Amino acid sequence: MSWIREGELNLIEKLSANILKAGPMPKHVAFIMDGNRRYARKRQVERQEGHTQGFDKLAETLRWCLNLSIHEVTVYAFSIENFKRSKDEVDGLMELAKQKFIRLLEEQCFLNVCFAYTSRHEIANAVGEMAWGVEQGLIKSSDVSEALLSRCLYSSNSPNPDLLIRTSGEVRLSDFLLWQTSHSCLVFQSVLWPEYSFWNLCDAILQYQLNHRPLQKARDQHREGQALQQHEADRACLADLLQHHGNGKPLDAQRRREALLNYTASREERVQDFLGALQHKRDSFLTDLTSQAALA
Amino acid sequence: MAIVYEFVWQVLHVLLHIHRTLITWFRIRLRNWNGRLWSRALTALIVPMALSFPNQKNIVPAPGKRVDRRYRWGADGKSLEKLPDHIGLLIAEEEPRYTDIANLVVWCMAVGISYVSVYDNYGVFRRDNSRLMDEILKQQQELLDLEGSKQLCVEFLNNGTDKQDQQVLSCQSVLKVLSPDDGKLRIVQAAQQLCRAVEQRDKTSKDINVTVLDSLLRESKSTPDPDLVLKFGPVESTLGFLPWHIRLTEFILTRLFKTLL
Repeated sequence: MSWIREGELNLIEKLSANILKAGPMPKHVAFIMDGNRRYARKRQVERQEGHTQGFDKLAETLRWCLNLSIHEVTVYAFSIENFKRSKDEVDGLMELAKQKFIRLLEEQCFLNVCFAYTSRHEIANAVGEMAWGVEQGLIKSSDVSEALLSRCLYSSNSPNPDLLIRTSGEVRLSDFLLWQTSHSCLVFQSVLWPEYSFWNLCDAILQYQLNHRPLQKARDQHREGQALQQHEADRACLADLLQHHGNGKPLDAQRRREALLNYTASREERVQDFLGALQHKRDSFLTDLTSQAALA
Repeated sequence: MAIVYEFVWQVLHVLLHIHRTLITWFRIRLRNWNGRLWSRALTALIVPMALSFPNQKNIVPAPGKRVDRRYRWGADGKSLEKLPDHIGLLIAEEEPRYTDIANLVVWCMAVGISYVSVYDNYGVFRRDNSRLMDEILKQQQELLDLEGSKQLCVEFLNNGTDKQDQQVLSCQSVLKVLSPDDGKLRIVQAAQQLCRAVEQRDKTSKDINVTVLDSLLRESKSTPDPDLVLKFGPVESTLGFLPWHIRLTEFILTRLFKTLL
Protein backbone atom coordinates (compact mmCIF):
# COMPACT_ATOMS: atom_id res chain seq x y z
CA MET A 1 0.00 0.00 0.00
CA SER A 2 1.47 3.33 -0.97
CA TRP A 3 0.81 6.45 1.06
CA ILE A 4 -0.28 8.53 -1.87
CA ARG A 5 -1.97 6.31 -4.37
CA GLU A 6 -0.09 6.13 -7.61
CA GLY A 7 -3.24 5.41 -9.64
CA GLU A 8 -4.26 8.07 -12.06
CA LEU A 9 -7.85 8.99 -12.92
CA ASN A 10 -9.63 6.96 -15.58
CA LEU A 11 -10.71 8.59 -18.83
CA ILE A 12 -14.17 9.72 -17.73
CA GLU A 13 -12.78 11.05 -14.45
CA LYS A 14 -10.02 12.89 -16.28
CA LEU A 15 -12.54 14.42 -18.67
CA SER A 16 -14.76 15.55 -15.81
CA ALA A 17 -11.77 16.99 -13.98
CA ASN A 18 -10.81 19.02 -17.03
CA ILE A 19 -14.34 20.33 -17.44
CA LEU A 20 -14.49 21.35 -13.78
CA LYS A 21 -11.12 23.04 -14.03
CA ALA A 22 -12.53 25.37 -16.69
CA GLY A 23 -14.34 27.14 -13.86
CA PRO A 24 -13.08 28.62 -10.59
CA MET A 25 -11.39 25.95 -8.46
CA PRO A 26 -10.84 26.03 -4.71
CA LYS A 27 -7.18 26.39 -3.79
CA HIS A 28 -7.61 25.09 -0.24
CA VAL A 29 -10.13 22.45 0.76
CA ALA A 30 -10.86 21.33 4.31
CA PHE A 31 -12.32 17.90 5.09
CA ILE A 32 -14.05 16.70 8.23
CA MET A 33 -13.53 13.00 7.63
CA ASP A 34 -16.50 11.63 9.53
CA GLY A 35 -18.15 8.23 9.28
CA ASN A 36 -15.40 5.66 9.85
CA ARG A 37 -17.15 4.05 12.78
CA ARG A 38 -20.54 4.00 11.10
CA TYR A 39 -18.93 2.42 8.07
CA ALA A 40 -17.39 -0.28 10.26
CA ARG A 41 -20.80 -0.98 11.82
CA LYS A 42 -22.42 -1.08 8.41
CA ARG A 43 -19.85 -3.53 7.07
CA GLN A 44 -19.87 -5.40 10.36
CA VAL A 45 -16.14 -5.18 10.80
CA GLU A 46 -13.93 -3.97 13.61
CA ARG A 47 -13.85 -0.22 14.24
CA GLN A 48 -10.16 -0.26 13.52
CA GLU A 49 -10.91 -1.53 10.04
CA GLY A 50 -13.17 1.49 9.51
CA HIS A 51 -10.32 3.78 10.47
CA THR A 52 -7.91 1.94 8.20
CA GLN A 53 -10.27 2.36 5.29
CA GLY A 54 -10.62 6.01 6.22
CA PHE A 55 -6.88 6.40 6.17
CA ASP A 56 -6.67 4.83 2.72
CA LYS A 57 -9.47 7.04 1.54
CA LEU A 58 -7.50 10.09 2.66
CA ALA A 59 -4.59 9.00 0.51
CA GLU A 60 -6.88 8.51 -2.46
CA THR A 61 -8.56 11.87 -1.93
CA LEU A 62 -5.21 13.61 -1.85
CA ARG A 63 -4.41 12.10 -5.23
CA TRP A 64 -7.72 13.37 -6.61
CA CYS A 65 -7.07 16.83 -5.21
CA LEU A 66 -3.67 16.91 -6.87
CA ASN A 67 -5.27 15.99 -10.17
CA LEU A 68 -7.80 18.76 -9.68
CA SER A 69 -5.00 21.26 -8.98
CA ILE A 70 -6.05 21.67 -5.37
CA HIS A 71 -2.71 22.24 -3.71
CA GLU A 72 -3.68 22.60 -0.09
CA VAL A 73 -5.82 20.28 1.98
CA THR A 74 -6.61 20.47 5.68
CA VAL A 75 -8.16 17.49 7.39
CA TYR A 76 -9.75 17.04 10.78
CA ALA A 77 -8.65 13.71 12.10
CA PHE A 78 -11.90 13.47 13.92
CA SER A 79 -10.56 11.30 16.63
CA ILE A 80 -7.01 10.41 17.35
CA GLU A 81 -8.09 6.80 16.82
CA ASN A 82 -8.08 7.50 13.10
CA PHE A 83 -4.34 7.10 13.17
CA LYS A 84 -4.00 4.52 15.94
CA ARG A 85 -2.01 1.51 14.86
CA SER A 86 0.66 -0.81 16.27
CA LYS A 87 4.11 0.70 16.77
CA ASP A 88 5.67 -1.23 13.88
CA GLU A 89 2.88 -0.20 11.59
CA VAL A 90 3.26 3.42 12.62
CA ASP A 91 7.03 3.39 12.11
CA GLY A 92 6.70 1.79 8.69
CA LEU A 93 3.95 4.16 7.70
CA MET A 94 5.84 7.24 8.85
CA GLU A 95 8.89 6.20 6.83
CA LEU A 96 6.71 5.74 3.75
CA ALA A 97 4.92 8.99 4.48
CA LYS A 98 8.24 10.82 4.76
CA GLN A 99 9.24 9.61 1.30
CA LYS A 100 5.90 10.58 -0.14
CA PHE A 101 5.83 13.93 1.60
CA ILE A 102 9.10 14.83 -0.06
CA ARG A 103 7.38 14.16 -3.35
CA LEU A 104 4.44 16.25 -2.23
CA LEU A 105 6.79 19.10 -1.46
CA GLU A 106 8.22 18.83 -4.95
CA GLU A 107 4.73 19.20 -6.29
CA GLN A 108 4.26 22.13 -3.90
CA CYS A 109 1.31 20.73 -2.06
CA PHE A 110 0.38 21.19 1.54
CA LEU A 111 -1.42 18.80 3.80
CA ASN A 112 -2.46 20.08 7.21
CA VAL A 113 -3.64 17.50 9.68
CA CYS A 114 -5.48 18.69 12.75
CA PHE A 115 -4.81 16.35 15.63
CA ALA A 116 -6.57 16.82 18.95
CA TYR A 117 -7.56 20.25 17.71
CA THR A 118 -10.33 22.63 18.67
CA SER A 119 -10.92 25.98 17.05
CA ARG A 120 -11.75 27.73 20.31
CA HIS A 121 -8.39 26.75 21.75
CA GLU A 122 -6.70 27.98 18.62
CA ILE A 123 -8.43 31.36 18.86
CA ALA A 124 -7.74 31.67 22.59
CA ASN A 125 -4.12 30.75 21.94
CA ALA A 126 -3.87 33.46 19.27
CA VAL A 127 -5.24 36.01 21.74
CA GLY A 128 -2.70 34.76 24.28
CA GLU A 129 0.09 35.25 21.76
CA MET A 130 -1.00 38.83 21.13
CA ALA A 131 -1.10 39.39 24.87
CA TRP A 132 2.44 37.99 25.03
CA GLY A 133 3.41 40.52 22.37
CA VAL A 134 1.94 43.28 24.50
CA GLU A 135 3.77 41.95 27.56
CA GLN A 136 7.05 41.98 25.67
CA GLY A 137 6.39 45.54 24.59
CA LEU A 138 6.39 44.55 20.93
CA ILE A 139 2.86 45.73 20.19
CA LYS A 140 0.20 47.85 21.85
CA SER A 141 -3.27 46.63 22.74
CA SER A 142 -4.65 49.05 20.15
CA ASP A 143 -2.71 47.15 17.45
CA VAL A 144 -4.92 44.12 17.97
CA SER A 145 -7.08 43.60 14.91
CA GLU A 146 -8.84 40.86 12.99
CA ALA A 147 -5.93 40.63 10.55
CA LEU A 148 -3.43 40.31 13.37
CA LEU A 149 -5.46 37.62 15.10
CA SER A 150 -5.57 35.65 11.84
CA ARG A 151 -1.77 35.89 11.62
CA CYS A 152 -1.47 34.44 15.12
CA LEU A 153 -3.52 31.33 14.45
CA TYR A 154 -1.80 28.00 13.81
CA SER A 155 -3.03 28.22 10.24
CA SER A 156 -1.37 31.59 9.59
CA ASN A 157 0.76 30.22 6.75
CA SER A 158 -2.29 29.03 4.83
CA PRO A 159 -5.04 30.94 3.11
CA ASN A 160 -8.54 30.37 4.51
CA PRO A 161 -10.20 27.25 3.14
CA ASP A 162 -12.37 27.97 0.10
CA LEU A 163 -14.42 24.84 0.65
CA LEU A 164 -15.30 22.84 3.75
CA ILE A 165 -16.66 19.34 3.24
CA ARG A 166 -18.13 17.22 6.00
CA THR A 167 -19.11 13.64 5.30
CA SER A 168 -21.46 11.19 7.03
CA GLY A 169 -24.47 13.51 7.01
CA GLU A 170 -23.68 15.41 10.20
CA VAL A 171 -24.33 19.13 9.81
CA ARG A 172 -22.08 20.57 12.50
CA LEU A 173 -18.68 22.25 12.41
CA SER A 174 -17.59 20.51 15.62
CA ASP A 175 -15.11 23.19 16.65
CA PHE A 176 -13.15 22.95 13.41
CA LEU A 177 -11.67 26.09 11.82
CA LEU A 178 -14.54 28.27 13.06
CA TRP A 179 -12.62 31.50 12.41
CA GLN A 180 -11.14 30.49 9.06
CA THR A 181 -14.32 29.15 7.48
CA SER A 182 -16.54 32.16 8.13
CA HIS A 183 -16.76 32.83 4.39
CA SER A 184 -16.06 29.35 3.05
CA CYS A 185 -18.46 27.32 1.00
CA LEU A 186 -19.97 24.65 3.28
CA VAL A 187 -20.91 21.32 1.77
CA PHE A 188 -22.47 18.63 3.91
CA GLN A 189 -22.53 15.24 2.23
CA SER A 190 -24.27 12.16 3.56
CA VAL A 191 -21.72 9.65 2.23
CA LEU A 192 -19.55 7.99 4.87
CA TRP A 193 -15.89 8.94 4.64
CA PRO A 194 -14.48 5.49 3.73
CA GLU A 195 -17.00 5.39 0.87
CA TYR A 196 -16.07 8.80 -0.50
CA SER A 197 -15.75 8.82 -4.25
CA PHE A 198 -14.27 11.08 -6.91
CA TRP A 199 -17.81 12.03 -7.90
CA ASN A 200 -18.62 13.15 -4.35
CA LEU A 201 -15.60 15.44 -4.56
CA CYS A 202 -16.71 16.76 -7.96
CA ASP A 203 -20.18 17.42 -6.55
CA ALA A 204 -18.66 19.46 -3.71
CA ILE A 205 -16.52 21.42 -6.14
CA LEU A 206 -19.57 22.12 -8.29
CA GLN A 207 -21.30 23.54 -5.21
CA TYR A 208 -18.25 25.71 -4.66
CA GLN A 209 -18.42 26.94 -8.25
CA LEU A 210 -22.11 27.78 -7.96
CA ASN A 211 -21.44 29.77 -4.80
CA HIS A 212 -18.21 31.32 -5.97
CA ARG A 213 -19.42 34.74 -7.05
CA PRO A 214 -21.68 35.59 -4.10
CA LEU A 215 -19.04 34.32 -1.67
CA GLN A 216 -16.35 36.38 -3.36
CA LYS A 217 -18.62 39.40 -3.06
CA ALA A 218 -19.26 38.73 0.63
CA ARG A 219 -15.53 38.28 1.27
CA ASP A 220 -14.64 41.50 -0.54
CA GLN A 221 -17.30 43.35 1.37
CA HIS A 222 -15.97 41.98 4.65
CA ARG A 223 -12.42 42.97 3.72
CA GLU A 224 -13.54 46.50 2.88
CA GLY A 225 -15.31 46.71 6.21
CA GLN A 226 -12.15 45.52 7.95
CA ALA A 227 -10.02 48.14 6.18
CA LEU A 228 -12.47 50.84 7.15
CA GLN A 229 -12.47 49.71 10.76
CA GLN A 230 -8.68 49.69 10.81
CA HIS A 231 -8.58 53.17 9.34
CA GLU A 232 -11.03 54.44 11.96
CA ALA A 233 -9.04 52.76 14.72
CA ASP A 234 -5.82 54.39 13.50
CA ARG A 235 -7.50 57.77 13.45
CA ALA A 236 -8.82 57.31 16.95
CA CYS A 237 -5.39 56.26 18.22
CA LEU A 238 -3.77 59.21 16.52
CA ALA A 239 -6.28 61.60 18.01
CA ASP A 240 -5.57 60.07 21.41
CA LEU A 241 -1.83 60.43 20.93
CA LEU A 242 -2.08 64.03 19.81
CA GLN A 243 -4.26 64.85 22.76
CA HIS A 244 -1.77 63.43 25.21
CA HIS A 245 1.47 64.35 23.60
CA GLY A 246 0.58 67.17 21.25
CA ASN A 247 1.34 70.77 21.89
CA GLY A 248 -2.33 71.70 22.02
CA LYS A 249 -2.42 73.26 18.58
CA PRO A 250 -4.85 71.55 16.17
CA LEU A 251 -3.21 70.18 13.04
CA ASP A 252 -4.28 71.25 9.56
CA ALA A 253 -5.66 68.65 7.16
CA GLN A 254 -2.34 68.07 5.42
CA ARG A 255 -0.41 67.55 8.66
CA ARG A 256 -3.16 65.31 9.95
CA ARG A 257 -2.96 63.13 6.85
CA GLU A 258 0.80 62.87 7.17
CA ALA A 259 0.56 62.06 10.85
CA LEU A 260 -2.00 59.35 10.10
CA LEU A 261 0.23 57.81 7.45
CA ASN A 262 3.15 57.87 9.84
CA TYR A 263 1.09 56.27 12.58
CA THR A 264 -0.13 53.52 10.25
CA ALA A 265 3.41 52.85 9.04
CA SER A 266 4.77 52.62 12.57
CA ARG A 267 1.92 50.31 13.61
CA GLU A 268 2.63 48.03 10.66
CA GLU A 269 6.32 47.96 11.56
CA ARG A 270 5.53 47.03 15.15
CA VAL A 271 3.24 44.25 13.93
CA GLN A 272 5.89 42.89 11.58
CA ASP A 273 8.47 42.80 14.38
CA PHE A 274 5.99 41.05 16.65
CA LEU A 275 5.13 38.45 13.99
CA GLY A 276 8.83 37.83 13.45
CA ALA A 277 9.34 37.29 17.17
CA LEU A 278 6.29 34.98 17.29
CA GLN A 279 7.60 32.90 14.39
CA HIS A 280 10.97 32.64 16.13
CA LYS A 281 9.28 31.52 19.35
CA ARG A 282 7.34 28.83 17.47
CA ASP A 283 10.38 27.63 15.53
CA SER A 284 12.41 27.34 18.74
CA PHE A 285 9.59 25.38 20.33
CA LEU A 286 9.54 22.92 17.42
CA THR A 287 13.32 22.64 17.37
CA ASP A 288 13.41 21.90 21.09
CA LEU A 289 10.64 19.34 20.62
CA THR A 290 12.41 17.50 17.81
CA SER A 291 15.77 17.57 19.56
CA GLN A 292 14.12 16.11 22.66
CA ALA A 293 12.53 13.42 20.49
CA ALA A 294 15.91 12.67 18.91
CA LEU A 295 17.54 12.29 22.30
CA ALA A 296 14.76 9.97 23.54
CA MET B 1 -8.97 21.69 -26.12
CA ALA B 2 -9.25 24.18 -23.25
CA ILE B 3 -11.95 26.02 -25.16
CA VAL B 4 -13.98 22.83 -25.51
CA TYR B 5 -13.78 22.17 -21.76
CA GLU B 6 -14.78 25.73 -21.02
CA PHE B 7 -17.74 25.46 -23.35
CA VAL B 8 -18.90 22.23 -21.73
CA TRP B 9 -18.47 23.84 -18.31
CA GLN B 10 -20.65 26.79 -19.31
CA VAL B 11 -23.33 24.43 -20.64
CA LEU B 12 -23.16 22.39 -17.43
CA HIS B 13 -23.68 25.46 -15.28
CA VAL B 14 -26.56 26.72 -17.39
CA LEU B 15 -28.23 23.30 -17.07
CA LEU B 16 -27.67 23.32 -13.32
CA HIS B 17 -29.28 26.74 -12.98
CA ILE B 18 -32.26 25.65 -15.04
CA HIS B 19 -32.53 22.49 -12.97
CA ARG B 20 -32.48 24.48 -9.74
CA THR B 21 -35.05 26.98 -10.97
CA LEU B 22 -37.40 24.21 -12.09
CA ILE B 23 -37.08 22.31 -8.80
CA THR B 24 -37.75 25.48 -6.82
CA TRP B 25 -40.75 26.34 -8.98
CA PHE B 26 -42.21 22.85 -8.54
CA ARG B 27 -41.64 22.89 -4.80
CA ILE B 28 -43.40 26.22 -4.43
CA ARG B 29 -46.35 25.06 -6.52
CA LEU B 30 -46.57 21.79 -4.62
CA ARG B 31 -46.35 23.60 -1.31
CA ASN B 32 -49.10 26.05 -2.21
CA TRP B 33 -51.35 23.28 -3.44
CA ASN B 34 -50.59 21.05 -0.47
CA GLY B 35 -50.75 23.97 1.92
CA ARG B 36 -54.37 24.74 1.10
CA LEU B 37 -55.30 21.09 1.44
CA TRP B 38 -53.38 20.68 4.66
CA SER B 39 -54.64 23.79 6.37
CA ARG B 40 -58.24 22.75 5.70
CA ALA B 41 -57.60 19.22 6.97
CA LEU B 42 -55.82 20.45 10.06
CA THR B 43 -58.48 22.99 10.89
CA ALA B 44 -61.14 20.31 10.65
CA LEU B 45 -59.23 17.87 12.84
CA ILE B 46 -57.36 19.95 15.33
CA VAL B 47 -59.74 22.69 16.34
CA PRO B 48 -61.88 20.33 18.41
CA MET B 49 -58.71 18.74 19.86
CA ALA B 50 -57.24 22.09 20.82
CA LEU B 51 -60.39 23.09 22.62
CA SER B 52 -60.41 19.92 24.67
CA PHE B 53 -56.83 20.10 26.01
CA PRO B 54 -57.01 19.78 29.81
CA ASN B 55 -54.46 22.42 30.76
CA GLN B 56 -56.33 25.27 29.18
CA LYS B 57 -59.06 25.76 31.75
CA ASN B 58 -58.14 29.33 32.46
CA ILE B 59 -58.43 30.41 28.83
CA VAL B 60 -61.48 32.24 27.59
CA PRO B 61 -63.07 29.68 25.28
CA ALA B 62 -63.40 31.94 22.28
CA PRO B 63 -62.67 29.58 19.39
CA GLY B 64 -60.95 32.25 17.33
CA LYS B 65 -58.53 30.97 14.72
CA ARG B 66 -55.57 32.78 16.33
CA VAL B 67 -56.12 31.31 19.77
CA ASP B 68 -56.37 27.81 18.27
CA ARG B 69 -53.22 28.41 16.33
CA ARG B 70 -51.36 29.56 19.42
CA TYR B 71 -52.33 26.50 21.40
CA ARG B 72 -51.88 24.12 18.52
CA TRP B 73 -48.36 25.36 17.98
CA GLY B 74 -47.66 25.31 21.68
CA ALA B 75 -48.89 21.73 21.84
CA ASP B 76 -46.79 20.84 18.79
CA GLY B 77 -43.78 22.21 20.59
CA LYS B 78 -44.51 20.29 23.79
CA SER B 79 -45.05 17.07 21.89
CA LEU B 80 -41.52 17.18 20.45
CA GLU B 81 -38.92 15.20 22.36
CA LYS B 82 -36.36 17.94 22.32
CA LEU B 83 -36.66 21.59 21.43
CA PRO B 84 -33.65 23.74 20.66
CA ASP B 85 -33.08 26.43 23.28
CA HIS B 86 -31.68 28.85 20.77
CA ILE B 87 -32.45 29.04 17.05
CA GLY B 88 -30.52 31.28 14.68
CA LEU B 89 -32.08 32.59 11.48
CA LEU B 90 -29.32 33.38 9.02
CA ILE B 91 -30.67 35.49 6.18
CA ALA B 92 -28.32 35.31 3.24
CA GLU B 93 -30.68 36.97 0.81
CA GLU B 94 -29.96 40.23 -0.96
CA GLU B 95 -33.42 41.60 -0.17
CA PRO B 96 -34.72 40.22 3.10
CA ARG B 97 -38.46 39.66 3.32
CA TYR B 98 -39.47 41.18 6.62
CA THR B 99 -42.93 39.60 6.79
CA ASP B 100 -41.60 36.10 6.24
CA ILE B 101 -38.84 36.56 8.79
CA ALA B 102 -41.32 37.98 11.29
CA ASN B 103 -43.54 34.95 10.72
CA LEU B 104 -40.66 32.64 11.45
CA VAL B 105 -39.78 34.47 14.65
CA VAL B 106 -43.39 34.34 15.82
CA TRP B 107 -43.65 30.64 15.02
CA CYS B 108 -40.47 29.93 16.98
CA MET B 109 -41.89 31.82 19.93
CA ALA B 110 -45.22 30.00 19.67
CA VAL B 111 -43.61 26.58 19.62
CA GLY B 112 -41.64 27.46 22.74
CA ILE B 113 -38.12 28.37 21.62
CA SER B 114 -36.55 30.53 24.31
CA TYR B 115 -34.00 32.40 22.19
CA VAL B 116 -34.25 33.41 18.56
CA SER B 117 -31.44 35.24 16.74
CA VAL B 118 -31.84 36.97 13.42
CA TYR B 119 -28.72 37.66 11.38
CA ASP B 120 -27.92 39.04 7.96
CA ASN B 121 -24.44 39.58 6.63
CA TYR B 122 -25.07 43.18 5.55
CA GLY B 123 -26.04 44.26 9.06
CA VAL B 124 -29.34 45.64 7.74
CA PHE B 125 -31.46 44.34 10.60
CA ARG B 126 -29.13 45.75 13.19
CA ARG B 127 -29.05 49.18 11.60
CA ASP B 128 -32.76 49.39 10.94
CA ASN B 129 -34.30 47.08 13.51
CA SER B 130 -37.48 49.12 13.90
CA ARG B 131 -38.91 47.82 10.66
CA LEU B 132 -38.31 44.22 11.70
CA MET B 133 -39.75 44.84 15.15
CA ASP B 134 -42.90 46.45 13.75
CA GLU B 135 -43.38 43.52 11.43
CA ILE B 136 -42.92 41.04 14.28
CA LEU B 137 -45.41 42.83 16.48
CA LYS B 138 -47.85 42.91 13.60
CA GLN B 139 -47.49 39.17 12.96
CA GLN B 140 -47.77 38.44 16.68
CA GLN B 141 -51.14 40.22 16.61
CA GLU B 142 -52.29 38.56 13.45
CA LEU B 143 -51.12 35.04 14.07
CA LEU B 144 -51.30 34.70 17.82
CA ASP B 145 -53.59 37.45 19.05
CA LEU B 146 -50.98 38.70 21.49
CA GLU B 147 -51.04 42.33 22.42
CA GLY B 148 -47.99 44.41 22.74
CA SER B 149 -44.69 42.77 23.33
CA LYS B 150 -45.52 41.20 26.63
CA GLN B 151 -44.32 37.79 25.59
CA LEU B 152 -41.35 38.81 23.52
CA CYS B 153 -38.28 40.70 24.63
CA VAL B 154 -35.84 42.17 22.22
CA GLU B 155 -32.22 42.24 23.17
CA PHE B 156 -29.22 43.51 21.34
CA LEU B 157 -25.87 41.93 21.86
CA ASN B 158 -23.25 43.98 23.72
CA ASN B 159 -25.82 45.09 26.23
CA GLY B 160 -25.16 42.44 28.83
CA THR B 161 -25.92 43.88 32.23
CA ASP B 162 -27.58 42.41 35.30
CA LYS B 163 -30.63 44.47 34.58
CA GLN B 164 -30.87 42.81 31.20
CA ASP B 165 -30.74 39.38 32.84
CA GLN B 166 -33.66 40.22 35.09
CA GLN B 167 -35.66 41.51 32.20
CA VAL B 168 -34.91 38.40 30.22
CA LEU B 169 -36.17 36.12 32.99
CA SER B 170 -39.61 37.63 32.82
CA CYS B 171 -39.96 37.04 29.09
CA GLN B 172 -41.08 33.92 27.35
CA SER B 173 -38.80 34.43 24.38
CA VAL B 174 -35.82 36.62 23.67
CA LEU B 175 -35.07 37.93 20.21
CA LYS B 176 -31.52 38.90 19.32
CA VAL B 177 -30.74 40.95 16.25
CA LEU B 178 -27.21 40.23 15.07
CA SER B 179 -24.79 41.49 12.45
CA PRO B 180 -21.25 40.57 11.37
CA ASP B 181 -19.94 42.99 14.02
CA ASP B 182 -21.17 40.53 16.63
CA GLY B 183 -18.90 37.85 15.19
CA LYS B 184 -15.22 38.37 14.51
CA LEU B 185 -15.23 42.01 15.53
CA ARG B 186 -16.60 41.08 18.93
CA ILE B 187 -13.83 38.53 19.38
CA VAL B 188 -11.26 41.18 18.42
CA GLN B 189 -12.77 43.61 20.92
CA ALA B 190 -12.56 40.97 23.65
CA ALA B 191 -8.93 40.37 22.67
CA GLN B 192 -8.22 44.10 22.90
CA GLN B 193 -9.81 44.21 26.31
CA LEU B 194 -7.62 41.34 27.53
CA CYS B 195 -4.51 42.91 26.04
CA ARG B 196 -5.31 46.20 27.75
CA ALA B 197 -5.56 44.31 31.04
CA VAL B 198 -2.14 42.81 30.32
CA GLU B 199 -0.78 46.28 29.48
CA GLN B 200 -2.03 47.54 32.81
CA ARG B 201 -0.55 44.49 34.53
CA ASP B 202 -3.96 43.28 35.73
CA LYS B 203 -3.42 40.03 33.87
CA THR B 204 -0.59 38.08 32.31
CA SER B 205 -0.66 36.46 28.88
CA LYS B 206 -0.69 33.05 30.55
CA ASP B 207 -4.05 33.87 32.18
CA ILE B 208 -5.76 33.89 28.80
CA ASN B 209 -7.57 30.70 27.91
CA VAL B 210 -10.83 29.48 26.37
CA THR B 211 -12.82 29.98 29.58
CA VAL B 212 -11.72 33.59 30.02
CA LEU B 213 -12.45 34.44 26.40
CA ASP B 214 -15.75 32.60 26.51
CA SER B 215 -16.96 34.54 29.54
CA LEU B 216 -16.18 37.80 27.75
CA LEU B 217 -18.00 36.70 24.60
CA ARG B 218 -21.00 35.36 26.45
CA GLU B 219 -22.75 38.67 26.98
CA SER B 220 -25.26 37.13 29.33
CA LYS B 221 -24.65 34.00 31.40
CA SER B 222 -28.07 32.59 30.61
CA THR B 223 -27.88 32.81 26.83
CA PRO B 224 -27.02 29.44 25.32
CA ASP B 225 -25.08 28.94 22.11
CA PRO B 226 -27.30 28.47 19.04
CA ASP B 227 -28.39 24.82 18.84
CA LEU B 228 -29.78 25.16 15.36
CA VAL B 229 -29.23 27.64 12.56
CA LEU B 230 -31.60 27.90 9.61
CA LYS B 231 -29.92 29.55 6.66
CA PHE B 232 -32.08 31.12 3.96
CA GLY B 233 -30.61 32.35 0.74
CA PRO B 234 -28.56 31.25 -2.22
CA VAL B 235 -25.16 31.19 -0.50
CA GLU B 236 -23.91 28.03 1.24
CA SER B 237 -21.90 29.65 4.00
CA THR B 238 -22.20 30.97 7.55
CA LEU B 239 -21.20 34.41 6.24
CA GLY B 240 -19.55 35.41 9.48
CA PHE B 241 -22.34 34.31 11.83
CA LEU B 242 -20.98 34.22 15.41
CA PRO B 243 -17.89 32.09 14.69
CA TRP B 244 -17.14 31.52 18.39
CA HIS B 245 -20.63 30.35 19.29
CA ILE B 246 -21.34 27.86 16.50
CA ARG B 247 -18.92 25.11 17.40
CA LEU B 248 -21.69 22.53 17.97
CA THR B 249 -24.51 24.18 16.09
CA GLU B 250 -26.52 22.14 13.59
CA PHE B 251 -27.04 23.83 10.24
CA ILE B 252 -29.99 23.53 7.92
CA LEU B 253 -29.08 25.25 4.68
CA THR B 254 -32.05 26.07 2.48
CA ARG B 255 -32.02 28.18 -0.60
CA LEU B 256 -35.45 29.76 -0.49
CA PHE B 257 -37.84 30.97 2.15
CA LYS B 258 -40.88 29.93 0.21
CA THR B 259 -39.99 26.27 0.34
CA LEU B 260 -40.05 26.28 4.13
CA LEU B 261 -43.05 28.48 4.84
